[in-house]
Amino acid sequence: MKKKGLSALLLSTLLVIGGCEVATKKDVVKEDSKEPSVQKPVEIVLLTQSRDETDANVIRDQLSKSGFNVKLNLQPDFGSYTAQEKAGNYDVAISSWTTVTGNPDYAVRSLFKTGGDYNKGPISDPEIDELIDKAATQTAEEYKETYEKLELRLVFDKAYIAPLYVSLKSQGLNHNVLKESSVRLSKSRSMVWEAIDFVDGSKRDKDPLILQQAISSLTSLDPIKGNDGSINMLNTNMYVRLVNLTDDDKITSEGALSHRYAIAEGNSDYYFLLRDDISFAKIKDKLAVDSGERVGAEDVIFSLNRAKNKDAVPDHRTYSLHEHIQNVELVTDPSVLSTVKQSGASGTIKEALEKGLKAPIHELTSNKADVNNQSGKYQVVKLTTTKPFPQVLNYLAHQSAGIVSKKQVESINTFDVAKYDVNKDISYGDQSTVTEGATYNNALAASGPYILSYKNDYEAVFYKNPGYRKGTEFEPKISKVVVRFIKDADSALAALRSGEIHVYYGIPETKFDLVQNDSKLKLQTLESNGVAYLLFNLENREVSKSEDLRKAVLYAINQDELIKTYNDNKIKASSTLTPLVKTGLELQADSNKVKEYLKKYAESK
Amino acid sequence: MRTHYEKRATKRKLKAFQEYKLSNFAASASIVLAILFGLSGYDLFERTVSIPFLVLAGIYLLFGMLQLLVSAKIRSDIIQRNTIQATTRIFGFSLIIALLTGNIFVAIAALDIIKKEKSIEYMLSIYMALTNICIILISALNLFKPYVADLFLLGMGILLAVSVLHIAAMILIGLFVKNGDVSRHLLPLAYLLILTAVTGNVFSLLLGLTLLHKIRHGNKEVLVTWVDIVRRLFRNAMAALGLLFITVLLSLSICSYFTFEYSLAVENNYSTLLLSPSLEYPFGTDDFGRCVFSRIIFGGRISLLVGILTTLIPVIIGGLLGTVSGFYGKYVDNFIMRALDILYAVPGMLLAIAIVAAFGANTTNLIIALSIGYIPTYARTMRATVLSVSNFEFIEAARACGAKDHAIIFKHIIPNSLAPIIVKATLTIGIAVISTSSLSYLGLGVEPHIPEWGNILKIGSAYLESKSYLAVYPGIAIIVMVLSFNFFGDGLRDALDPKLK
Repeated sequence: MKKKGLSALLLSTLLVIGGCEVATKKDVVKEDSKEPSVQKPVEIVLLTQSRDETDANVIRDQLSKSGFNVKLNLQPDFGSYTAQEKAGNYDVAISSWTTVTGNPDYAVRSLFKTGGDYNKGPISDPEIDELIDKAATQTAEEYKETYEKLELRLVFDKAYIAPLYVSLKSQGLNHNVLKESSVRLSKSRSMVWEAIDFVDGSKRDKDPLILQQAISSLTSLDPIKGNDGSINMLNTNMYVRLVNLTDDDKITSEGALSHRYAIAEGNSDYYFLLRDDISFAKIKDKLAVDSGERVGAEDVIFSLNRAKNKDAVPDHRTYSLHEHIQNVELVTDPSVLSTVKQSGASGTIKEALEKGLKAPIHELTSNKADVNNQSGKYQVVKLTTTKPFPQVLNYLAHQSAGIVSKKQVESINTFDVAKYDVNKDISYGDQSTVTEGATYNNALAASGPYILSYKNDYEAVFYKNPGYRKGTEFEPKISKVVVRFIKDADSALAALRSGEIHVYYGIPETKFDLVQNDSKLKLQTLESNGVAYLLFNLENREVSKSEDLRKAVLYAINQDELIKTYNDNKIKASSTLTPLVKTGLELQADSNKVKEYLKKYAESK
Repeated sequence: MRTHYEKRATKRKLKAFQEYKLSNFAASASIVLAILFGLSGYDLFERTVSIPFLVLAGIYLLFGMLQLLVSAKIRSDIIQRNTIQATTRIFGFSLIIALLTGNIFVAIAALDIIKKEKSIEYMLSIYMALTNICIILISALNLFKPYVADLFLLGMGILLAVSVLHIAAMILIGLFVKNGDVSRHLLPLAYLLILTAVTGNVFSLLLGLTLLHKIRHGNKEVLVTWVDIVRRLFRNAMAALGLLFITVLLSLSICSYFTFEYSLAVENNYSTLLLSPSLEYPFGTDDFGRCVFSRIIFGGRISLLVGILTTLIPVIIGGLLGTVSGFYGKYVDNFIMRALDILYAVPGMLLAIAIVAAFGANTTNLIIALSIGYIPTYARTMRATVLSVSNFEFIEAARACGAKDHAIIFKHIIPNSLAPIIVKATLTIGIAVISTSSLSYLGLGVEPHIPEWGNILKIGSAYLESKSYLAVYPGIAIIVMVLSFNFFGDGLRDALDPKLK
């Protein structure tokens, strides 16, 4: 009796609830298609590190929805990620690349050319190799088409990589303290300290400019001995270069050591006309003083020769960036300049170099002490590349091509490089010589606007170079710069918001709104040269054998959804070239293509 | 002098009435919740007011005040007549409505006051019915979602039917259980209640077993240890509340198979990124557009499972090792304990991190990693108890009767040494839950998209300032669960302690 009552009750309740018209999943989510799904789902191992967890989550979600069975190989840090990558324990890996030099060749050569330093796939495709080499010899107008072909082959025809997005560069600054227009944010170039100015000009000599950096252990203050986040910003501001990059990665001699530069016909010879108003600074009693030594051609030749020479210093980390340099020499005969023609223009090198000069080139000298630009006495340096390669200028604008003092470096690096003993020999720029304490012995000679006085675990202190373009608009505005070492991103943001630091470079996308909502802060963003992409394992995996499978993954990636997850603070990409060359190609997610390629893959098995 | 004595006498009088304690607790809990709701209803920075929160705050405040009045009435009753008047007890009926607003504190106090003679059966039936109603209320929130799970209607139907049965059982027990005597006619009910325990309702299982037991033994006052323990456990309101929360969570973990939609918790939805809490998404959505409420419900399943398993495994292994070394002593003892000392020397968390890092992050490895570190402590506890138990006369007697070692261990020693280890286990579950969450927070626990409280909290921590609710709710869930296990463990210890009988 009771049981009967119970079942009646159950039935009536069901009816009552059913009457409320509750939509169930079946009603709302329509089955896409009733056609039999392609066998069992293909298993894909996705390798990633904790830092890229957001990307991993979105890609895992998109691939699973497209019928893949995704296994996540999530590694806690970069070290273990690289170990897994080396061991080949993945089908696709989330990778990223930042073209620090701002030229397209650097964005493809070591990544995709057979035998490249960072070619992890590894991709080995003669057509791609050929296209990379061809584009390298071309000028900006010509290479667009070549790079488009390359992108087409790399991504759309062969699916060696699957592009994800271009990141934004971001920087927050305190505009109550700093003049907003004086703080630049450049695509490739590091922060330009000499331009930064206080709102209140009277503070220039009293208050320091306070910046932030995550890493406190500095690789080396010798520009060629490091190329990483610990020294990029510091060395960029300590050493002047022959040329610079503008905020959107064009070559310029503004704020550089040369008045002007010119490319000779044939794209293999490059001429630089040097300035005479920069001299090296040194540190005396922890304060910056002018050493009285001018930055001249001999320093340029010395610096560039050691940059390309692998054996110039122990643990040389940047020679591969400068392997295109064949020779650097001094031009002493002015008549050479008037005979050589410019590349892609009528007129001689002399005309190109003299353009806009107050005093025309009257005499060239080999002694840097004799130089006097006002009376027409100049120094000209000629650089020759191994083969026609206009993009060499981008490498000359890189931090590692900073000009060091020949005299000072030679007086310190007296040891034999081949017999270098890390415990005994102290090379130029060693961080122990600038760290407060017993080992402190600051022997830096800075050609740039600032010089490092000393550092500790908490901060590094810089002073302005008194001999740097005095009286011009490029003379450093603020006398003292302090770089605080704040490792944790949240703490750094807190420091910016509390006013402890004035500029914070690299604000995470999720915190943009915090900076925007703070009335004393200003957020600057710019498309960067950093591209995230999926790297396919091209050795001994299913994805290595099957182009169809790779393409199925490629078309399963929906960049729009990924970008939305980042609150629209990313940009669509089609390869690592996207920020540098607009080829017009675009990747569109397409579920029909995914099905088609998966079917093809299943049939081929 | 006199006033002081009077005060103490009143205090003792009041203490004798559980109703007074519960009523006070319910009143203060409601008022605290009302204040919390009120605070979340007013945004200090934006200077905006959230009407739903303020309404909720008002309702809780109202019930809190009413409960305070009841408290005052009970107090005067006790002081004047040393009993609670029937007119006071009637108030309880009106306060049961508080349950509809989710105020279980007032509801428990109300159900408690209604009946004068509270048998353990009645108490169990209150908690049993409450558990089920909580599940229904929580599941019903899904009605606001764009769609519900395919089995939602079936699940809700079953839950409602079970609820009806539970309420009927409550009334029947109220009527037919007198002075601890259970009528034989309740036998079918007992079986039905045990059947409803498949929803994860521990209370209905306990109630069914108690009824069954009493009927079997013809209500004779046989010394039934566990019924006695349950009775003493429920004398402690906080322990009972802890058990209530754990049961609700357990039950939700099971019922969510029917009433909750898993895809809303794991699949990304790019059109609902970072939404603020609403009826549709009670705890908002995270940065992948997933419903945080559903994630917390499903996350409870993993947290509970890992918590219980990582306690159970070391209890069994450690317990056995401890028993063997305590019973045999000498070389065996020395060997086992020194080996465990080596394991003990490695910090548990470090060991877990190392194991997960070496073998990969998944639930099985996580359970193994966390279990191993706990083995030595259980072995030590067990060994100490076994050492004292094996010296008792009844062991000697058993041996004299020719009982084999394994018979002595399993029949006499283990049952008599279990109490401390059970208490320790309930207290460790909380720690295990936190450890699981810590590992997930570090990215070493379960896969990031699988809902687990540590994972959810990790995402929330990135939005601590702008979308604090993403971290607050999983945080509260962890706190409440750990507190519940701790209160329950404390209560169990008191209940098991022969000195406090």
